[in-house]
Amino acid sequence: MMHLRLIRAFISASAQEEAAYRANFYISLLHSLLNFATGLLGLGIIYGQVQTIQGWDYASALAVLGVYLTVSALRGLMMGPSLDALAGMDGEVWRGAFDFTLLRPVRTQFLVSVRKWRLFALFDLLLGLLVLGTAVTRLNHTLSLYHIAAFLLALAAGLLALYAILLAAASLVFWDPGLMVGWVFDSVFQMARYPVGLYPGWLRLVLTWIIPVGFITSIPAAALSEGLSWELLGVSLAFALVLAAGASWLFRAGLRRYASASS
Amino acid sequence: MNHNHQGGLALIRATWLSWMQHRSFFFILAFGWMMQPLIFMFVWATAAGDQTIGGLTRGEIVAYYLTLILVNQITYSQTNWTVGDLIRGGDMNRLLLLPMSPLYNTLASELAGKVVYLTFVLPIVLLLTLLLKPAFNLTAVSLFAFLPALLLAWLLRFLWGYALALLAFWAARADALLAVQDALVFLLAGQAAPTLLLPPLLRTLAVILPFRYMVGFPAEVLTGQLNGTQLTAGFVAQIGWLAVTLLLYQVMWRRGVRQYTAVGG
Repeated sequence: MMHLRLIRAFISASAQEEAAYRANFYISLLHSLLNFATGLLGLGIIYGQVQTIQGWDYASALAVLGVYLTVSALRGLMMGPSLDALAGMDGEVWRGAFDFTLLRPVRTQFLVSVRKWRLFALFDLLLGLLVLGTAVTRLNHTLSLYHIAAFLLALAAGLLALYAILLAAASLVFWDPGLMVGWVFDSVFQMARYPVGLYPGWLRLVLTWIIPVGFITSIPAAALSEGLSWELLGVSLAFALVLAAGASWLFRAGLRRYASASS
Repeated sequence: MNHNHQGGLALIRATWLSWMQHRSFFFILAFGWMMQPLIFMFVWATAAGDQTIGGLTRGEIVAYYLTLILVNQITYSQTNWTVGDLIRGGDMNRLLLLPMSPLYNTLASELAGKVVYLTFVLPIVLLLTLLLKPAFNLTAVSLFAFLPALLLAWLLRFLWGYALALLAFWAARADALLAVQDALVFLLAGQAAPTLLLPPLLRTLAVILPFRYMVGFPAEVLTGQLNGTQLTAGFVAQIGWLAVTLLLYQVMWRRGVRQYTAVGG
């Protein structure tokens, strides 16, 4: 209960902060719309030339784009800003302000993961759901309850995996504040915009299981377009849980290494 | 405008040395810029499979995109962002007092940056060339025409970026325009698809607007996608846009400096 109350307090504090910079609103709006338009047009250009690529037709690729936009929006809503405030450029560890966070009487991992919110991302979420909805109507088959349940579970697994990767990347700040693993991951994450099936075989495997960006978007989208087997769904959930446990362990190991830079 | 070339050269050398110290940061940036063309190379190559798309085979598509990655890196304009920051932050004051045009300062960062980025991008492109077996059908014409096309593309993109950045003299939020520009470069400059593969409306826009001539055109030239008429028309458009941009830069610079009142320094 206390955790929920804290989250509510963080949200309202972030909302007030955001409202102070009104000009940023229009810039954010423009960026969101451009991101949405280039994603759609990029896909449109490809499928203007071919009908299907490795079994992925326009509707199922659109579903992947929808999941990508949705997941990115949820990341931008809370995970991204929070972890940036910890480990980003000019974040707490750089400035030496992390001591104050450590002293708070809450679990540190919880605090650094939910502290900052960017409510504008709700608009991105809307655009993502819009694309996802369009894709579903274009798929031309009725969704069973199993489809939807599998989709939601796979999406949850994808989000958990994304959180684990971001937390692990942020944790590396305790070893070397100059490591910008998060930035490298951001670049690779761009690949998740399109189905893994659009990439050559070796890259497909890397993107599913090694740097699991395809795992985050392609598997939930496949749950909608063709359905997932119980086995794959189970493996996905287990995989995401392992990643999350690993990231949490890395974060705690980092905390133990942390030697204050201030005071 | 002053013409202190020696001072300019010394500055270029100093800037280059300082950039080499922050290599990993720039490598990560360069990696980010490679991503979009890489993604679309893989997608188009997979889509082509054993057949052709719009007359291009898989190998030709890979050759086009590997060239594009290099051209994009060589012509990439950082001035877009950095010059605007100089003006907004008031650091432009110091540069205006130096006995040479501030254009030298930007040119120095530009050249220093290019060398650093290329020490990262060139090996990667070579590695990908070995792995992905691109099909380069080089002819005397394509080789001969590539260098001038590349040089013009770089000049055009550099000056265009500089002129746009000068908007910071008037508006604190010129970044919005730059975001639109990035989207247009993605769609129309040959990144999402070679110009030939674009749908008709976008293709017409690509041929008319300047963005293709900053990135895509040199890559199309080298990989021999253009016939004689298209080649000539391309060069004419490139030179025409360069002239327009030069004029734009001069007008913006004169007016901008006149009404620039600095804060701090």
